[in-house]
Amino acid sequence: MFSDLRFRLRAVFRRVDMERDLDDELRFHIERETEKCMRDGTSRREAERRARLAFGGMTRIKDDTRDSRGTVMFETLRQDVRYALRGLRMTPGFTAAIVLTLGLGIGTNAAMFDILDRLMFRPAKYLSVPERVHRVFVTYLSDGRRHTESSQSYARFVDFARMTSSFDLVEAVGHRRLAVGSRDEAKEMIIATVSGGFFRFFDARPAQGRFLTPDDDRPPSGSPVAVLGRAFWQLRYGGANVINKKIRIGNVVHTIVGVVPKGFAGISEEGEPAAYIPVTAFAASSVPNYVHDYGWTWMDVIVRRRAGVSREAADADLSRVYAQSWELEGKAGSGYPSAASSHTSSVAAPLLSARGPEADETGGVATWVMGVAVIVLLVACANVTNLLLARAVKRRREIALRLALGVTRRRLFQQLLTESLLLAVFGGVIGMLVAQLGAGIVRRLFLQADGATAVATDVRTMLFVAVTTVSVALLTGLAPALHSLNGDVADALKAGSREGAYRRSGVRTALLLFQGAFSVVLLVGAGLFVRSLSNVRSQRMGYDVSPIVYADGVARGVKPTRAEVQSLSERLVAAALSVPHVENATLTISVPFWSSEGRGAPKVPGVDSLRTLGSFRLQAGSPSYFKTMGTRILHGRAFNEADRATTAPVVLVNEAMAKAIWPRKDAVGQVMRIGSDTNPYMTVIGVAENTRAQHITGKDEFWYYLPVSQFSARFGQAGPNLFLRVNGRAEDALEPIRKRLQQEMPGDSYVNTVTLASLVSPRQRSWEFGAKMFVGFGVLALVLAAIGLYSVVSYMVAQRNHELGIRIALGAGVGDMLRMIVIQGVGFAAAGIAIGSVIALWAGRKIEPLLFSQKANDPSIYGLVAAMLLLVAILATLRPALRAARVDPMVALRSD
Amino acid sequence: MTDRLDLPQGTLDLLILKALSLGPQHGWAISERIHQVSLATLQIPQGSLYPALHRLERQGLIGAEWGTSDNNRRAKYYELTRAGRKQLGADTEAWDRLTAAVALVLKMA
Repeated sequence: MFSDLRFRLRAVFRRVDMERDLDDELRFHIERETEKCMRDGTSRREAERRARLAFGGMTRIKDDTRDSRGTVMFETLRQDVRYALRGLRMTPGFTAAIVLTLGLGIGTNAAMFDILDRLMFRPAKYLSVPERVHRVFVTYLSDGRRHTESSQSYARFVDFARMTSSFDLVEAVGHRRLAVGSRDEAKEMIIATVSGGFFRFFDARPAQGRFLTPDDDRPPSGSPVAVLGRAFWQLRYGGANVINKKIRIGNVVHTIVGVVPKGFAGISEEGEPAAYIPVTAFAASSVPNYVHDYGWTWMDVIVRRRAGVSREAADADLSRVYAQSWELEGKAGSGYPSAASSHTSSVAAPLLSARGPEADETGGVATWVMGVAVIVLLVACANVTNLLLARAVKRRREIALRLALGVTRRRLFQQLLTESLLLAVFGGVIGMLVAQLGAGIVRRLFLQADGATAVATDVRTMLFVAVTTVSVALLTGLAPALHSLNGDVADALKAGSREGAYRRSGVRTALLLFQGAFSVVLLVGAGLFVRSLSNVRSQRMGYDVSPIVYADGVARGVKPTRAEVQSLSERLVAAALSVPHVENATLTISVPFWSSEGRGAPKVPGVDSLRTLGSFRLQAGSPSYFKTMGTRILHGRAFNEADRATTAPVVLVNEAMAKAIWPRKDAVGQVMRIGSDTNPYMTVIGVAENTRAQHITGKDEFWYYLPVSQFSARFGQAGPNLFLRVNGRAEDALEPIRKRLQQEMPGDSYVNTVTLASLVSPRQRSWEFGAKMFVGFGVLALVLAAIGLYSVVSYMVAQRNHELGIRIALGAGVGDMLRMIVIQGVGFAAAGIAIGSVIALWAGRKIEPLLFSQKANDPSIYGLVAAMLLLVAILATLRPALRAARVDPMVALRSD
Repeated sequence: MTDRLDLPQGTLDLLILKALSLGPQHGWAISERIHQVSLATLQIPQGSLYPALHRLERQGLIGAEWGTSDNNRRAKYYELTRAGRKQLGADTEAWDRLTAAVALVLKMA
């Protein structure tokens, strides 16, 4: 087998040598035979004649010998490839257009496939028998609503592990952001809290030391050991030996016992965890009585079905145990209704959360975008088919000639397909580059995870590209190849290359119109989403976003008293003001889109049932609050240094709240009360602008503001949490602020700093995503349409050479020629615009709810898109038009 | 010419292997040996030898090397490989069984 291959390959690559050897060998034979014949006195000439006669037909024997080397297949392939390459080199514009078109099409698909695959299909790395590994979900009825969740308590996990029989592994996994390191270095990172048998899910060996074992994870307190994530180990320790080193994770100092191998991320979907620690060790440090606590649900239960146990049997087993566990929980004193009346059930769902019952819309959106990407690829294929068809028409005579000369149709067909395969392969290579660039961008949009993506080296994505490339080759090559081979040889030979060549093809026109219309639809979508995004970004939130930093102090290892928190808060504000570029600072209790404080509906004398108006949220801040946040006071005054815990209680309300409660009166001077009826009334001293801090669209939110001194005197000390106003880039100020504030924190307490923009922008993500996707695909479609138009018009000009020559000979000027060709291109574009606009208007009604203060039939967007398409059409036809104008009538009429 | 037999399909390979079992030979010598040993009964079209040789070489049953012939000229010598020797044994046995069986049928039936 191996010698066979070697022989064949040698035959292919050392063809010249082999050919010479064969000549030598056969000549030697003839000479010996001649000598033999000459021995009985025959003349040399006669002897040679006899020798040749005995030998047989030299050419046929050579052919047979070559065939017997088994290289015919390679030889013809080699010939075809060389022939195709030569052909492609002769028409560089044509080749570049096709390769680029396919590259963009294949590339976008590869990038989207990569995302979709990671989200929905690709099993976690190193996971053994992934098809039998599941995430457990429980379902119950409460307050008349069905709740489905994957989060479980430790007690529930123990019940599942103890009482189910369908699984050979039942483990618990939680991912939490915990502070790693102490003092200055402390930083929150993703930590996987895993039960002792977790690593048995994987076929992996530690890069260093060992994995966690059930012995590390014995309740009640486990062992404080940790296995480090590979990336974190490289970053923090530079890959040094870390076994037995200590590291502080959360409240506990852990001993490092191992490091996971490269690429290992457990079952985390948000990147590699920094470390893996026993669940018991973490739980004991957080909730003292966690072992019997059903209420603290904080981790997922992951199971592996025994071989031979079906999904249905596993679900039944889980549901039975969940009901039992529910009753146990009732006995433990939670006072819940029975399992039966709560309709409890439990399922072993897919491990990937995008496919589980709790999935959000990300997977659906990704599938939808993949669909658009496939359509774009089909458009690209249509383009290429169009080009190849145009060329097939041009080549009819060449092919007819070769058929007449006796080349088999099969052989010609092979050759034509080789050509399109070659084009597709080049396209695939370009596609990989596009995908490598594109996937990083799309991944950040979709998975919100950064970190290096290696699309080009990923086996599954490579496979996808390979399959796509071959399908594209067949899709684009088949029709033109068949078209070339059909038809009567004699007819084609009799006709000149001009006759039968320029025929308006209905298919080609339809393809062009489809491309134009498709571009219009996508570009209109792009326009609508870009406008929406700019609308949402310029929307007044009731506070400034970009210059604000949020600093959050987290107590660790200490339980500060109320007085201590108060003095710490004051020290932090003072410290913050000493950091360069910090202009102002305020304490806060609510954080937009993060957490909000509520004390129910306020009570206002003479106004009933405020509760029915909606929900009221409360913010409390330092006297500098409004200045720091940039919140405008519309009326009245802000609170100031004079409003202290001991002075008369004051409050500000936002405009929406003022109008809702006191529609016909001035709100300033009115009074309201929150909390219990013994609390004093607060006097409204001002009205602030409207606020968006919970929902970016929808009804106006009701917010009111208290001085933090008065709030904490009545409701207790919160925090310490701060907003800081920075001049310059907020991102750049994060670290200096964190470092300075950290110095004030007692014990192992630490500070986190984030920009307010990073809290707000996820809420704008859907518009951002829509805008980027539509712009990306819209531009892509436009480029494809332009390439399509350019190439088709180019070919048309080439085919009509003869006719154009006559026109020029009859006196048509350069301007006439330009106009004639360009108008044709513009005609295509105009028809595309018309069709696309109709589709876009229809589709626009459906996406209007997704837009932000933007009408779907905005004429300015349609106008812009139409102008853009016309401009592109003119540009795309200009070059061929110029070529048409330069046709020399003498040359054109004489040729052919 | 009437006393010469055409070769049944597929037996040429066997004859080549047998001819080579005595030692390395070039193509012409192989054809000569078969001719002589069969007492000029078997007629191989000399040319058809070469496709067979190249096929056997591809199959790894024989190896080839360029050497110098007895009259000092460059010639391509073929020799049996280990696989070729095994194949020769197996094919010879199969041939013997076949001819014996055919002879038996012709005699009895």
